[in-house]
Amino acid sequence: MRRRLFTRLAAVSVLLTAAACGSSDGGGTSDAGASSGGVTTVEVGLIPIVDVAPLYLGQEKGFFEKQGLKLRFTTAQGGAAIVPGVASGQFQFGFSNVTSLMIAQSNNVPIKAVANAIASTGVEGKDFSAITVGKDSPIRSPKDLEGKRVAINTLKNINETSVRASVRKAGGDPDKVEFVELAFDQMPAALDSGQIDAAQVVEPALATVRSQGGRIIASPLVDVAPDLTVALYFTSTRYAQQNPEVVEKFRKATAESLAYADAHPDEARRIVTTYTKIPAAVLEKVTLPKWPAEPNRASIEALMKLGEDDGLFKSTPDLDKLLP
Amino acid sequence: MRGVNAALGAAGLAAFLALGEAVPRLGLVEETYFPPTSRIAEALADETGDSAFWTALGDTLTGWALGLAIASCAGIVVGVLISVVPYLRAATASTIEFLRPIPSVALIPLAVLLYGTELRSVLLLVVYASFWQVLIQVLYGVQDVDPVADETARSYGLGTWARIRHVLWPTALPYVMTGVRLAAAVALILAITSELVIGAPGLGKRIGVAQTSQAVPEMYALIVVTGLLGLLINVGARTVERRALAWHQSVRGEVAV
Repeated sequence: MRRRLFTRLAAVSVLLTAAACGSSDGGGTSDAGASSGGVTTVEVGLIPIVDVAPLYLGQEKGFFEKQGLKLRFTTAQGGAAIVPGVASGQFQFGFSNVTSLMIAQSNNVPIKAVANAIASTGVEGKDFSAITVGKDSPIRSPKDLEGKRVAINTLKNINETSVRASVRKAGGDPDKVEFVELAFDQMPAALDSGQIDAAQVVEPALATVRSQGGRIIASPLVDVAPDLTVALYFTSTRYAQQNPEVVEKFRKATAESLAYADAHPDEARRIVTTYTKIPAAVLEKVTLPKWPAEPNRASIEALMKLGEDDGLFKSTPDLDKLLP
Repeated sequence: MRGVNAALGAAGLAAFLALGEAVPRLGLVEETYFPPTSRIAEALADETGDSAFWTALGDTLTGWALGLAIASCAGIVVGVLISVVPYLRAATASTIEFLRPIPSVALIPLAVLLYGTELRSVLLLVVYASFWQVLIQVLYGVQDVDPVADETARSYGLGTWARIRHVLWPTALPYVMTGVRLAAAVALILAITSELVIGAPGLGKRIGVAQTSQAVPEMYALIVVTGLLGLLINVGARTVERRALAWHQSVRGEVAV
């Protein structure tokens, strides 16, 4: 009995180890970036949010196929996995906000932006990002945020810069605001229960806050610069040097996809349901970002200056090198 | 006795589910953030009708099983090797004590740099976390070998392999089984956590997407699934343990003299 057990155990373990090795080898040979029959497959690291709808739509509409590209999407929960993923060559392209890219560049991370991703709507009070307060809050203006607990999703990044811009614009002192780090999806509950006094939320959490009667007191991205470019698609400098034609194709197809999504918001909303679980009732009320085909350099310069004032960068980011 | 226990267990669960239904309905917590049981059950039914859910479940189980298998084999081999080779244990003890408390989750940036969001990232974390569970138990188990039995085996001229096989292994097996059972639970936790944080395909990623999508009932439905999975794994591990140790006094229930 014991002998049999031992032999069986040994056999099973050998088998499992073999299977494990076999599978990890199989998973390791990534064919991303390889071309077959004139079609190049590229891996794109994304966050599963409304912002990246144009790429899914462009893939569906065949804009990438037309350029001889096939996109394979990998969604990660945050930029934390995307920037290192692109820099180390796991993904050929990635999605990230402009401030994160500038911080990475000032830290000599070898990345380069290749195409526009999203811009704010530029309309005060009607943007996809907002500083919100609970329905009974006495806070009326960003100036009132002095001494208050304000939630942002990441400290020392684009959202802190933009909230500080709103406070400054309203005549307040941003240094007196107490910033708290909290995930966007947890903000509506925290605001509702009074754990925080205000929250800078983006869609779809913004729609949830509004449905609870929360008030918008400012549109921070609009306060940074008119028509602010908020996020960009980027690649590693090495990939850009070795595959300039792929990068150019990606840029062209992305620009076409952005323009299409901007002109067809209903289709953009529909495609969001294929890769997120946003309930239909919430999605209807979501404010979509703008998807201009080209980044707005003047707005990025304004964001960089504010970021420098906030001490986000080790050295001044080189926009000529970073931007497409 | 068994029937009574099962009935009590079912009653406890029913009371818990009823509480989950009542608390949000009575307005004690906000329904938006803590939906009643029935709403979660509805979302769960929707989930099981979606093929993507089963793919995700499969991905999670693959990461769990492979990780556990690698960690168990490595833990047993390394554990026995360390115990059998003189001085190796003393030489490795401090290193093991240094590495063991490092939380697997802290290795996420490393995993992403090495393997991106692939299965291998999940495996790295799962194996790292569950390997120690097995290794430590093997080390304890080997320490438990009766010196008289070992000396007897030596005096009968049994070689190293035969002594591992006939003396060390039967003594260590109950410990190994405990280690594997603990590792099975840890492996599941780590598989789901790494999917949630890194975004590797699986249930964890689906929970993350539901969370960022403000799809609260769906999120809880998936969390319930992970709970059920943990329960099944624990029951399964106990069954395997009982079968494998059917000869052992701890399972046979004989009083040792």
